[in-house]
Amino acid sequence: MSAVTETKRDKTRLMLLAPGVIWMLLFLIAPILMIVYVSFWTQTTFSINSTLTLESWRNFFGSEAYVGALWTTLKMWLIVLSATFLIGYPAALYIGLLVKNQTIATVLLVLCVIPFWTSFLIRVLAWRPMLGKEGAINIILQKLGLIDTPIEVLLFSELSVIIGMTQIYVVFMVGPIAFMLGRIDRNIIEAARDLGAGFGRIFWKIIFPLSLPGVVVGAIFVSVMVLGEFATSGALSGRKVNLLGNIIVTQVGSLKWAMASVVGVILTVLLGIVVAGFLRIVDLKREL
Amino acid sequence: MESKILKPILGVYVALFILFLYGPFIVLGIISFQQGPEGGPQFPIIEWSTYWYRHLFGMTPPSRIAPLPVGEALIRSLTLAFMTMVTSTVLGVMAAQAFRKRFRGSGFVFYLIVLGMMVPGVLTGLGISLLANNVLDIERHWFTTAFVAHVVYTFPFAFLVMLAILNRFDGSVEEASWSLGVSPARTFRKVTFPLIFPGVLSAMLFAFTLSFDEFPRTLFASGRDQTLPLAIYGTFSVEIHPNIFAFGVMTTLFSFALLAVYGILMGLSIRRAKKVAMQEEIE
Repeated sequence: MSAVTETKRDKTRLMLLAPGVIWMLLFLIAPILMIVYVSFWTQTTFSINSTLTLESWRNFFGSEAYVGALWTTLKMWLIVLSATFLIGYPAALYIGLLVKNQTIATVLLVLCVIPFWTSFLIRVLAWRPMLGKEGAINIILQKLGLIDTPIEVLLFSELSVIIGMTQIYVVFMVGPIAFMLGRIDRNIIEAARDLGAGFGRIFWKIIFPLSLPGVVVGAIFVSVMVLGEFATSGALSGRKVNLLGNIIVTQVGSLKWAMASVVGVILTVLLGIVVAGFLRIVDLKREL
Repeated sequence: MESKILKPILGVYVALFILFLYGPFIVLGIISFQQGPEGGPQFPIIEWSTYWYRHLFGMTPPSRIAPLPVGEALIRSLTLAFMTMVTSTVLGVMAAQAFRKRFRGSGFVFYLIVLGMMVPGVLTGLGISLLANNVLDIERHWFTTAFVAHVVYTFPFAFLVMLAILNRFDGSVEEASWSLGVSPARTFRKVTFPLIFPGVLSAMLFAFTLSFDEFPRTLFASGRDQTLPLAIYGTFSVEIHPNIFAFGVMTTLFSFALLAVYGILMGLSIRRAKKVAMQEEIE
């Protein structure tokens, strides 16, 4: 390749990349840096100015409500992450590995994705008539004679937020795991079986390790979404569950931009740690 | 054999799992036929009626229940989704095209783009609002600040879809075209683009549906005129009526219509590609 065409190719590549890169720098990186910067601004009741101060940070860590929201966020994240994994893995195992017929596997996956064509917020709201005191679950349980009095803890509680988030996000766990399971060479499993390994042994020694990249991708998806959540907790907890996202929304609502930014920075750091942690388990670049 | 027992058990489990995914939607569908205007968003169904569907279209006598402000919000959301779709698909195709050959700094650019889908919407929205308010001093609008936030989110999806398509792309047809003296721009238009069109369609569908339903980024970045998800969010704070569920059923039907159009276009483009291939064989 001559030097002239090489430079020409570089120039073309630059022109192709520039719009996208500039867009991301201006509207993604600059805004995040702005959040960090504004978290040190001075906030008064009605306005905000760019005199740098640690006041908002002190306020955050001095307030039980704010620090509590941090713990609640971590707790809900851990619970929803475990729930999506525990509920999603068996489904992924069936769809990705046990169903031999490719068409049926595709149909099952499409069935899982269809609910996403209903507005996210309406899907959240639909849990209310499901979980309420006179909701579908209580009615069914009463008709079956399993309970006498309706279970009240189902709605406007931590439990309702966990159920709602799990149902909304579990598919992001199922998809990547099913994908990785589908790529496993069946001959390996056959070979292990021929050598006399039981299903439990095959699962722990072969299937699970090979599906791990899918688990990590799913876990990253779910974590990113759950950590940034506020709508589900707002709609289903009756203001009992306050996540970091909810704090940001209320602070922006009352024009307390500095405090919203502090929470934003904490959320960003939290996410960075979580995602980096997951990426340490599996080297995704090598696997994909 | 354990899998003889395991498979049926997991089969039943998957059936229950799918019921869990659809449960709220079934309930939503049932309650959308609740009697109105006294019937609330809960069981039991007092009497089956289409009241809430008529209410949605303003075909019912006035009552104390305010209609959903869907008309203008719907048009705004459709416009915004369309703008986002076009922009992010163009950016996605361009960036993916640049990634056909490895280059210095490709890792950095890759992560920079993918970061757009990893950063929670609430942060993107907050950051863009801060920039608009305090640095640029411009008013926030759905077609400016919310639009750029949407593209930050959908561009990575378009990019990844196009990357997957171009990875499987046979470059020899392009080289043949170049060596025949056709300019690169014309080669892209006449050879490359028709071949990657199914991927472009998928990227467009992704971008459109993601933007149409996008809520956290829009909440802070959109200013005073509401988009559709914001109009729905507005009802969260007041009393909920079954009209919102009727609306949920309607939007789902709309999405399926969109999906059907996508399927038809996809089928047509695949059939055309096959036809071209057959003609080449004959010649």
